[in-house]
Amino acid sequence: MIFITGPLFAGKKEYARSLGYEDADIVSDAQERVKAQEDLTALADRLAQKPVVICTEVGGGIVPIDREERRFREQAGRLSVLLAQRAQTVVRVWCGLPQVLKGELPCR
Amino acid sequence: MFTLIIGGSASGKSVYAESLFSPGQHNFYIATMEPFDAECRERITKHQAQRAGRGFETIERYRDLAGLDLPQRGDVLLEDMGNLTANELYSPQGAGDRAVQAILAGVDSLLGQCQNLVVVSNEVFLGGKDYEGDTLRYLEVLAEINRGLAARADCAVEMAAGLPIFHKGGPEL
Repeated sequence: MIFITGPLFAGKKEYARSLGYEDADIVSDAQERVKAQEDLTALADRLAQKPVVICTEVGGGIVPIDREERRFREQAGRLSVLLAQRAQTVVRVWCGLPQVLKGELPCR
Repeated sequence: MFTLIIGGSASGKSVYAESLFSPGQHNFYIATMEPFDAECRERITKHQAQRAGRGFETIERYRDLAGLDLPQRGDVLLEDMGNLTANELYSPQGAGDRAVQAILAGVDSLLGQCQNLVVVSNEVFLGGKDYEGDTLRYLEVLAEINRGLAARADCAVEMAAGLPIFHKGGPEL
């Protein structure tokens, strides 16, 4: 699994497509899935079966006053850590520019 | 040579940007912040003091970058893209829905008129997307501009704690 992270609107999905992946291979906005209250490890294990998983970094900015929003940000951050641990390759896309944080890009 | 510098509040982007300029050249500073209120004026005064002595000639340009003719060829620091984008999106005289095209055309025009261009933009994309009103549209527009600038740049730098992280190009360029 290739895990792609980065800020909002940074061009993460476009980057995955540029590697030759179809939309069916890509789980985008995976951080939203923490809202289903599933066990995070089980969620990460399941997502790790997909070719490409994308999470937007959401932990910057002010810590929200709302308890549920706070919980979401924390769970999203933890999910990203679990996904990065399971990934062969981790790429952070920033302003459309990819940076490999772990492993190597597959030759496709 | 085109350098793009992006960072959060007080990440050291201006100081790093100014360090790329040597006094004695024709240095132009394109200021984008309209002095709406006392806080704007205070911020403007702080930046003016910070760059004093570096030989910058200040050009105030709040909109329509593409219509700007530099007095002569030189090096240009444009600060900052977050302001210019807001001006184009929300000012009655701004480009509105054509803000992305207007700004990127403006940058292309500047690139044709100067030796070295440094553009400072803002990292505001790490706090989720639960925003009220038009904020998400602003983020989407600024992100598209940032990606367009990064694609054009010889050097793209993210600032963290006053230190540059090079995503494209390097300090040797």
